[in-house]
Amino acid sequence: MIIPEFEYVSPQSVQEACALLVQYGDSARVLAGGSDLLVKMKDGLMKPAYLVSLKNLDSLKAIRYETGTGVIIGARATHNEVMNNRLLQEKYRSVCEAAHSMAADQIRNIGTVGGNLVNAVPSADLPPILIALDARARIVGSSGERTIALEDFFLGPGKTVLEKGEILAAIIIPDQPTTGSNYIKFGLRRAGALAVAGVASSVTVSDGTCRDVRVVLGAVAPTPMRARQAENVLRGKKISRELIDETGRIAAAESKPISDIRGSIEYRRNLVNVLTRRSLKAAIEKGHI
Amino acid sequence: MSEATTKEFSVIGKSVPKIDARDKVTGRAKYTGDLKVTGMLIGKILRSPHAHARILSIDTSKAEQLPGVEAVITAKDVPATFYGISPARYDETILAIEKVLQVGDKVAAVAAVDEETAVKALGLIDVEYEVLPAVLDPLRAMDEDQPQIHPQYERNISVEIHQDFGDVEMAFQQSHLVRTDRFQGNRATHVPMEPHAAISKWENGKLTIWSSTQSPHYFQYHIARVFGLKMGDVRVIKPTVGGGFGGKLEPSAAEYVSAALAMKTGRPVKIVFDRKEVFFHNRGRHAQHIELTTGVTKEGKILGVHGKYIIDGGSYTSLGIASAYYAGAMLPLIYEFDHFKFDCFRVHTNLPSCAAQRGHGAPQPRFAFESQLDMIAKELGMDPIEIRKVNARRPNTMTLNDLKVNSCEFMACLEKAREISGWVGKKGKLPPGQGIGIGCGGFITGAGYPIYRTRLPHAAAIVKVSEQGDIATLYIGAVDIGQGSDTILAQMAAEAIGINYEDMRIVSADTETTPHDFGAYASRQTLMSGHAVKQAGEEVRRQIIELAAELLEASVADLDIDRRVIFVKGSPEKMLPFETVANEFFIRKGPLMGKGSYTPPKLGGKFKGAAVGTSPAYSFAAQISQVEVDEETGQVMVTNVWDVHDCGTVINPNLLHAQVEGALFMGMGEAMYEQVVFDDKGRPLNANLGEYRVPTALDVPQVISELVDSYEPAGPWGVKEVGEGATLPTMGSYANAIYDAIGVRLYDLPLTPEKVWRAIHERKKPS
Amino acid sequence: MGTAIKKGKLHVVTLTVNGEEHAVLVKANTTLLDLLREEFDYTGTKKGCELGDCGACTVLMDDRPVNSCLVLAVEADGHSFTTIEGVEQGGKLDRLQEEFINQAAVQCGYCSPGMILSGKALLMRNPHPTEREVREAIGGNLCRCTGYVRIVKAILAAAEANS
Repeated sequence: MIIPEFEYVSPQSVQEACALLVQYGDSARVLAGGSDLLVKMKDGLMKPAYLVSLKNLDSLKAIRYETGTGVIIGARATHNEVMNNRLLQEKYRSVCEAAHSMAADQIRNIGTVGGNLVNAVPSADLPPILIALDARARIVGSSGERTIALEDFFLGPGKTVLEKGEILAAIIIPDQPTTGSNYIKFGLRRAGALAVAGVASSVTVSDGTCRDVRVVLGAVAPTPMRARQAENVLRGKKISRELIDETGRIAAAESKPISDIRGSIEYRRNLVNVLTRRSLKAAIEKGHI
Repeated sequence: MSEATTKEFSVIGKSVPKIDARDKVTGRAKYTGDLKVTGMLIGKILRSPHAHARILSIDTSKAEQLPGVEAVITAKDVPATFYGISPARYDETILAIEKVLQVGDKVAAVAAVDEETAVKALGLIDVEYEVLPAVLDPLRAMDEDQPQIHPQYERNISVEIHQDFGDVEMAFQQSHLVRTDRFQGNRATHVPMEPHAAISKWENGKLTIWSSTQSPHYFQYHIARVFGLKMGDVRVIKPTVGGGFGGKLEPSAAEYVSAALAMKTGRPVKIVFDRKEVFFHNRGRHAQHIELTTGVTKEGKILGVHGKYIIDGGSYTSLGIASAYYAGAMLPLIYEFDHFKFDCFRVHTNLPSCAAQRGHGAPQPRFAFESQLDMIAKELGMDPIEIRKVNARRPNTMTLNDLKVNSCEFMACLEKAREISGWVGKKGKLPPGQGIGIGCGGFITGAGYPIYRTRLPHAAAIVKVSEQGDIATLYIGAVDIGQGSDTILAQMAAEAIGINYEDMRIVSADTETTPHDFGAYASRQTLMSGHAVKQAGEEVRRQIIELAAELLEASVADLDIDRRVIFVKGSPEKMLPFETVANEFFIRKGPLMGKGSYTPPKLGGKFKGAAVGTSPAYSFAAQISQVEVDEETGQVMVTNVWDVHDCGTVINPNLLHAQVEGALFMGMGEAMYEQVVFDDKGRPLNANLGEYRVPTALDVPQVISELVDSYEPAGPWGVKEVGEGATLPTMGSYANAIYDAIGVRLYDLPLTPEKVWRAIHERKKPS
Repeated sequence: MGTAIKKGKLHVVTLTVNGEEHAVLVKANTTLLDLLREEFDYTGTKKGCELGDCGACTVLMDDRPVNSCLVLAVEADGHSFTTIEGVEQGGKLDRLQEEFINQAAVQCGYCSPGMILSGKALLMRNPHPTEREVREAIGGNLCRCTGYVRIVKAILAAAEANS
């Protein structure tokens, strides 16, 4: 297989990268890990004239904690770097596990957090858990920087809010009162499988009462989606098995899956129901593990 | 009891390392795609985007003008000879002549200085198509309103089989219970890790092809025929091959097109398929739609069986005629019954061609049969193993379709599988959601007849001892595609001669330097090539002993050889080293060689299709699987599989168990994960290894492979089949274990979580 | 640590393969896989699917397994790679290679280079893995011949020899 010809540029700074993206416009794509982009190019689904590589931008690679801000995950961090990061393992192991659920070791050493988000594949594994943790996207452009809720980042399959010349620089998981989070993926193989459905949840629980909750669904809508009606079932209530069952049912009802070769609408709804219950139980019982 | 248990062997029966293992673990082993021939061009094939279309025009002028392009060919540039591998059904051409019959069909080809140029050139070829309605549903393929794909096959019927043994209607009348069930198989495919590849060189009127092949002989035969060359002017060489499983038994476009391009350019041309092209070429499992009716007595004795099939052959015949016959022929093998009717239509569709895959036509019917047998046992209140024992084939019997079974330890397989799996403590006693199930199988040890009519022996071997007598080289046409035939045949040669495995060298699978052999298919080489090797080795041994007798002044009858020492039996001090005698032999008489060949006895009955299923020997196997089912998602986790195989004498235990493990792994993929699916235009939706899901190391159960003591009189040293037999029981054993776990019966392969969930869901609905 | 310097349509790439440093000119659309196979003749790195699904092209990039079919040669600049040809040291097989032979973990051998490199990377970072960890480590390496039974055994046996 052949990757169609393109011009390769590797800017030395984020600003330079943004300037190049402005200059090349729609004929350019950002090359982060390449594990998704190069596949699409080999398949002939994408023929960018320019690839703007982030290879030299080490500032986008770090995973660190900043007091008052939270955990900052550089967009160039690979899935394995997320999975093995001590800070994340201590604070939000659920994020590490979501990274671990992806593809296989070789791809996790190439693929990046930024790539996973910017490609905006509906079945992507990181967005649900990051949105459940109220993550923000730090976006850098030639005219400055903006930070938005990751929840608002996705517009549709392959579509995000990134404007011409903008780069996703980092993901921020803010300090939060949540007491637990979890991501469960259902794939048709234990490695190298896309999610048929994935459910992430985060909860704030005290005295047996759910003070706050987020349920985020993957692979069952054009974008990762909050199951807000389901959240409302649980929020502010005393936690019970019946209530969690109800949450699962409502999440299934409000999901918007399609039928494809990995699963039908009905089956995906069933999975949303089951996984929502399981994810919530795990988040409530096990914290952020 | 058997020769195997009474005679001590020196070389066979030992897990010697594979003869090519060191090259393979260091990256030195060269596969076809790794080879570089001086002046070599890269060939690429333009493939049809339509499932069924008339080619109105092809304009290659722009492609020809691209710098670096050396040739662009279409059907008008190549022989129009129809080819195939089923005799009398040759219906494929090198490049499509008038119509394309599937997405991915071969339309034109390019040879260029590198892959990138070749790919660019493909993009510059303009083809005008008239898109025709396509046949995509095999169950509708015979309908009047469907387009006819091949002019010569009316109603798209590729082959129609009606075999009738005994009186099945009478058998059903006499039955206590008659069940009819419908089953549906899947389009699985081989997925050899190495894609198909060939390099063709045309020099001095001679064509040399390095190819990833399972049979240099069939390749040579068909390629010579298509290009109008004598067989002696076509040389097929097999480098290291990265798996075949049935998919590399006939030449593909890799060979035909590279040869055509080499002839046109005068330069060597390499074609390596990308993964999508492997899916287009396919030749994988036929999806079989099976209606199975079985009648039994109240004791569970099978009286009669009627199988009605429609099977999806795809675009071209390939080896599909045999596949269709095998779908019936193997059913009466492992259980004894007298009345059997087999009706089968293999139909053409505008989908990739189906042919032989591990187990050939037999695994899906076996899935149906093993599933139904469990349903019958349930209705009769019998244990699934008991009903199998009631019907199990015995040694030295003849099946109703005239297959002669010599050794058969199927009963022992059943007993041992029951014991090692802990069946008695588990069946019906596992916690909710867990279950255990059995499936069985049996398979041929080489086909009784070659694929085309010829009187050639099935296998032949030459052994040549070096002048110094230190090593011996086995020249053999048998084909190592990874299963290890080079290793076990070298072991056999060493055993027969009386030297060590380490003394053996092997030259194999090159039509010019090695003697004829039909190749790696139908689990034939250990027995058939093994016979030829044993004979060749023993001829060397006889010549060495005759000379040693002279040198030792002893009688021939008193001498023996063991691990390079020739000695007088009873007086081991009277001895000579092998090399001394071999060296003396060369000095006195010239090369020390032995040769052997093997032709099976005349086998089978007289009815139409009687040749299919014949074999010198048959293997038998019982497999038990244990599963855990997540009833909410339908996800099935197979935790353990126990396989007990009756495979005769074992030449190399490690390699033998590796064959069982690999065969049941392929069965597992087909049972649970694998299916090629298409959109409504006949385009494959998962022609890649991300969405066509071969199980990973995380998906497979713990596997225990065990054997029963067995000796096959038709095999050299008592050997018989192992490479395919273990694929057959897996699907049925999984389906039966799932039933045991959750009480739902699945009829459609693969047994995906969604299907399991739906079946549970249906059951829960109030009726 | 060279930055890729554009030179017409070719890029200069400096990389280390099996301990040897190379500076090569590559086209931007050349994959690391093709560079290794065509330029350096390290054909032990196999082409199985070219889309990152099978693991046959696995090489170690700074000791971590990657699919070389999904790494651009130009992006390999400044990195160090191990291919299967670099595992044998001075004519002596690595213990893992020996165990692949001993346990009959090799059949057709097409997945073996990638399997061994994935196993090697695992044992470098985790000398005493559990069976589960072994299966995780080779989860991205498809094998069609063995059912993985003996491959898992071989890696565990090599780990055993570590102690």
